[in-house]
Amino acid sequence: MARIELCNLEKSFGAVHAVKDLSFTIEDGEFVVFVGPSGCGKTTTLRMIAGFEDPTSGEIRIDGRVVNDLEPRDRGLGMVFQSHALFPHKNVAQNIEFGLRMKNVPPEERVKRVREVAEMVRIGHLLEKMPSQCSGGESQRVALARTLVTNPSTFLLDEPLSSLDAKLRRELRAECDRLHQALKRTFIYVTHDQEEAMTLADRIVVMRLGEIVQIGSPMEIYSNPVNYFVADFFGSPSMNLVAGEIVQANGTARFRSASFDVALPDSFKAAKAGAVTLGIRPEHVGVTLGSGGDIELPVRLVEPLGKDTLLYFDAGVERAFVAVTEGLGMAEIKAGERIALSFDRRRIHLFDGDGLRIAGAR
Amino acid sequence: MAMTKSQRRRITSGVRYVVLSVWGLMAFFPIYWIISTSFKLDTQWFAWPPYYFPSPPTLANYMNVWFGAEEYAQTQYAISSQKPLISLYNSTVIAVTSTFLSVLFGSMIAYGVSRYRILSEARMFQLLMLRMIPPIVIVAPLSLYYTAIGLIDTRFGLILVYFLTTLPYAVWMTKSFIDEVPLEVEQAAEILGASRWRTVFEIVLPLIRSGLVATFLFILILTWSEYLLALIITKTQVTTLPIELSKYQGSTEGRVYGRQAALAVGITVPLMIVGLIIRKHLARGFSFGMVRR
Repeated sequence: MARIELCNLEKSFGAVHAVKDLSFTIEDGEFVVFVGPSGCGKTTTLRMIAGFEDPTSGEIRIDGRVVNDLEPRDRGLGMVFQSHALFPHKNVAQNIEFGLRMKNVPPEERVKRVREVAEMVRIGHLLEKMPSQCSGGESQRVALARTLVTNPSTFLLDEPLSSLDAKLRRELRAECDRLHQALKRTFIYVTHDQEEAMTLADRIVVMRLGEIVQIGSPMEIYSNPVNYFVADFFGSPSMNLVAGEIVQANGTARFRSASFDVALPDSFKAAKAGAVTLGIRPEHVGVTLGSGGDIELPVRLVEPLGKDTLLYFDAGVERAFVAVTEGLGMAEIKAGERIALSFDRRRIHLFDGDGLRIAGAR
Repeated sequence: MAMTKSQRRRITSGVRYVVLSVWGLMAFFPIYWIISTSFKLDTQWFAWPPYYFPSPPTLANYMNVWFGAEEYAQTQYAISSQKPLISLYNSTVIAVTSTFLSVLFGSMIAYGVSRYRILSEARMFQLLMLRMIPPIVIVAPLSLYYTAIGLIDTRFGLILVYFLTTLPYAVWMTKSFIDEVPLEVEQAAEILGASRWRTVFEIVLPLIRSGLVATFLFILILTWSEYLLALIITKTQVTTLPIELSKYQGSTEGRVYGRQAALAVGITVPLMIVGLIIRKHLARGFSFGMVRR
């Protein structure tokens, strides 16, 4: 059981303000992912929860108890590090056993528990090996097992998969998910990979420059980004973001950019004229062969991926305008062709000059 | 006419061999000369032209120096009145104890510097600068103090002064090894429930053991062969091997080279044995980077 509250947490390293007035509660059993670009303060926050960094001000509470002055070992947490941080001079079994030994668990019991967790993360065959003989994925499983065995109330995971290749990452991501389901413990996971955040989290905390930008479920974050930064950060390929302006004419609002002009849905009828950025996800852009779309753009590049085909259009700026079509039906389109595109109007986002989302009227 | 690449390479490598051979000869000839002299008869020590090989080789010098065997003395001045075995015992106790203390406390200080910054960079540099003071400067006041507090001519007195004078080296060397241990490994131990001391003794020190061994040997060589301090602050009760070595000369006989050579070889051999035993650690310790990240 662990409910973790962060109250007005601040951390400065000299002149660098790494975490700014962070307040947030992580519920018991929740899988929370802190995500953001490097230097956004997510790892610092995790290390403050773990007890490796002292907050400059603010409080950390675990189950209501202020833990600011507790040593890391007295907080009842488990941590998996980015570098795995296995003990190089101990074999896998000794690595896993370490935490139990520190807690004076009797030897017979230790052997039994080490076996159990090793089976749980499928490294039973590695127990006699040295860390240097383990692959990256195996090392990370050992690190997981070493944390699991101490039965912590909360798991802190600091970019645990970032040193692994893509396939292993997917595999271990599923493993983390499975462990969370099975153990029903609190998981706090730090990553800069939006895909990891989307697939693992109950709630995502998006951070930037030491501050929380948005908190929400993966769907909320994906569908209703609060600002340009979140819109751009989540999704692969990322959201199409085109700079332009709102023009009011005959009681309807239109968006006009250098390369196209499109009518905005009624919800934006009252939007103020002026500079904005239009955002729409690639999957909400329809590609029609022939005429009759909202806009027409020349194709820059076609990327057949098998299940989908990505079409990159030239929207007059460096960043391409992307559309996704199912299957390989569009794979034959040639660069330079002008193609008609239609927008799913309800999915259009507008961001003002400060990058904040302009809420449309319902 | 331009040289081809392979010609140039052959010439470079030829030059390299010549330079290294000359250097090798300069470095190793004295060592060879000591060893060969230690097996020579009294008459061959100063002979001209020199005897490059002892003929016939004799163990007389060794028997005489190490076991006081007078029957091997062939000339009037060769009878040893010294006691090298006692010096060997003294040297061993003093060098090993002071080196052990130096590495133990040095690594503790180094840990504090590396992880807690208990000494600033400037202080660390000053610590090393302490070693730049010529020992002769401190030796006179030191012998006065030592006489006053009764440490003169004692093993403990010498251990203390060796321990303190080699401590800066121990701190500097072990710090570079501790810096190599990833902080995350220590933090992993910490969050798993290990105390700071436990982390140091169970994680950090085992990880840098090659470095500790290298530091140990380096300081052992210093203390084993130290001469000046030993000369002044010991008198008759405690003699170390380097002091013993200097005693093989007399006012009438001059230097007794063969005996000295035999003693010198005996002084060197234990260090070489230690070096051979721990050579695996030395290679790793002196090349740093032994902690796999």
